[in-house]
Amino acid sequence: MALLQAYGFLIVLMVINALLALSLYLPLMSGQLSLASPGFYAFGGYIAAILSTRVFAPADGEPYAVGLVVLEMLIAGVASGALGVLVAIPALRLSGIYLALATIAFVEILRVVSLNLPITGQAVGIFGIPQPFGSQLGYLLLAIPLFLLAVVFVARLERVRIGRAFTAIRADELAASAMGIATGPYKVLAFALGAALAGTTGALAAHFVNTWNARQGTFDASILYLAFVLIGGSRTFVGPVVGGLVLTAVPELLRGSAQVGALPAWLEGFLSGGGRLIIFGVLLAVGTVFFPQGLVTPELLARLRRGRSRPEVAVAEAQP
Amino acid sequence: MRLRRAVFLTAVAGLLAACTPPAPTDGAAGGGGATEAPAEPTAAESEAAGGASESAQLEGEPIPICVAVAQTSNVALLGQEEVIGAELAEEFFNGRGGVNGRPIDVVIQDTAGDEAGAINAFETCINATQAVGIVGPTLSQQMFAAGPVAERAGVPTLGPSTTAAGIPQIGDYIARVSAPVAVVAPNAVEVALEQDPAIENVAVAYAQNDAFASSETTTFQQAVQERGLNLATVQQFQTTDTDFTAQATNIIGVDPQLVIVSGLAADGGNLVRQLRELGYTGLIVGGNGLNTTNVFPVCGQYCDGIIIAQAYSPETEGELNAAFVEAYTSAQDRQPPQFSAQAFTGVQVFVEALTALDDEQGLAELEGDLAGLRTALNEAVLAGEYDTVLGPISFTEEGEINQEQFYVAQIEMADDGQTGQFTFVR
Repeated sequence: MALLQAYGFLIVLMVINALLALSLYLPLMSGQLSLASPGFYAFGGYIAAILSTRVFAPADGEPYAVGLVVLEMLIAGVASGALGVLVAIPALRLSGIYLALATIAFVEILRVVSLNLPITGQAVGIFGIPQPFGSQLGYLLLAIPLFLLAVVFVARLERVRIGRAFTAIRADELAASAMGIATGPYKVLAFALGAALAGTTGALAAHFVNTWNARQGTFDASILYLAFVLIGGSRTFVGPVVGGLVLTAVPELLRGSAQVGALPAWLEGFLSGGGRLIIFGVLLAVGTVFFPQGLVTPELLARLRRGRSRPEVAVAEAQP
Repeated sequence: MRLRRAVFLTAVAGLLAACTPPAPTDGAAGGGGATEAPAEPTAAESEAAGGASESAQLEGEPIPICVAVAQTSNVALLGQEEVIGAELAEEFFNGRGGVNGRPIDVVIQDTAGDEAGAINAFETCINATQAVGIVGPTLSQQMFAAGPVAERAGVPTLGPSTTAAGIPQIGDYIARVSAPVAVVAPNAVEVALEQDPAIENVAVAYAQNDAFASSETTTFQQAVQERGLNLATVQQFQTTDTDFTAQATNIIGVDPQLVIVSGLAADGGNLVRQLRELGYTGLIVGGNGLNTTNVFPVCGQYCDGIIIAQAYSPETEGELNAAFVEAYTSAQDRQPPQFSAQAFTGVQVFVEALTALDDEQGLAELEGDLAGLRTALNEAVLAGEYDTVLGPISFTEEGEINQEQFYVAQIEMADDGQTGQFTFVR
């Protein structure tokens, strides 16, 4: 229990980052490299922060109702999805690296706007966001269901008609449209789904970190989430989830390793200071060199499945 | 391929397994077990913990005090200064007998520059280190994130450099040893008025994307208006800007006798340089972001004469400050900056409050109940009066610092235009 207390924050953070990696994966399912997730994450966070400090603000000393947080998450999800559609319609005329640049610009625009609006608290941001739980661990009650919902949703999505259309567009957009797939609307849908998921996560995160400001969801974060997807693997939803969970945990566990006690003093200092980030960087580099497709690939999943049910070998043989 | 993956995953798994810290035993207020090798807490160990302080005979398990500041990220420039100050404090106070003969153990945790990092470091301090109190984090925005965590856990927390409005109001356990910007900054305007009583027009420029600069500028603008001066123009820039021609031209256009710049070293320094290059000759007041020697290479010769208010002066009288300055300069070869002094003060406040608590109730009595010890320590911190390197300080009920002395320094550049120093004018 003490261990759970110590790492409660980290566990929730891992889940939040896995959700954000999934939100990046959704547009990527249809072949769109979008780095806009942090923008929608920040947007959703601001919605929750403003609603909870101004509209639903509880009386002094009263805890915040969990239901209100869920309501904020819904509002933030819908609003982010709508904004996603608005952004996607012009932005998706671009593709590849140009789309990535346009989405980075979108994140920057949101950042500058939030720095200038009085309602977003300008540079200081919004603080004193009311708390529904007594400890950070309580947020698991919201994060885990949201995470499971998102995972089940994306897992199903990969197997239904819409998801197949996404995959077809990713494989070859021209061939997909020749087969009668309306590529435009499908790409917008993939983008908006990612936006809605990022916005919902942002609403949860705003309560979780107690404060929200323009430093949340910046360009740096875009790159981090992209790393989750690339290291985890971008061909199946399991990849981003694993990437988000593991890559969030490693720097913190390296910090923890400084406290085992059996290490020499210089190594302890190295680990608890900047050294853990150096090790983290080396791991990232090694990961990309040895697994250019990411840690988790469809082939790996197929092999695992085959290994479990060895008698029926033929199951997953259809993979190209 | 399969083998590689197996090797990589084994390596990661090995790392994870190695990283699980020993489960802290409940109520071990000494808490040394989580941070030190859990050997017998003998004099030998306390000597190792005390480092250079072999002169004092320390006995008992070290008392863990956490210092959670930024050792990485772009905030590290400030955080590193705080680490130096805290480490000096550990050595210094253990050398003076610790807490009535028991050593303190200053555990440094890296918050990095973001909010999540601050909370992670605080959680580690609270649960793994089982610290009795925390000094940190570096930024006000980080305190808004991590402060409520410490508050809910009931751990006394002292902000070493969190100067924004609203910090002590986070909760009962949150206090700070850094005077709010609203108290410090106006001193610089007063000195400017002393140097040039004929000031009428004042121009203000600030970095709009920096939380500290944008709250500081509000204070400066109020100070200007309260003194009946004409606030002729307010210019905005970004900390990432490099060209300030537009702002400098606009400022010179209103013919000011005083320009107040709130920004960070790189951008603020560049603005000062371009102002001077365009022919501005009046006085310049800089905000706390320019309160570092890192500004010298940016504006070179043009840094000369910038007036900056200070919460700390190396020239403060008193035996403690003399010892602090000597310890700092012998290790770092320069005068101690404000951030180091404030972190030093944070540790000192905990040491003296612990000593007072020990005298009053006896730490051994409280040892079994960590939560109770933290609460009692928080009360002792707020009740005490401290003679520190910042001068005499105490706290209000809310946890705001009562600091009596403030200082103003003026930058004096050497003829080579590269080196300079802060000369205290008040």
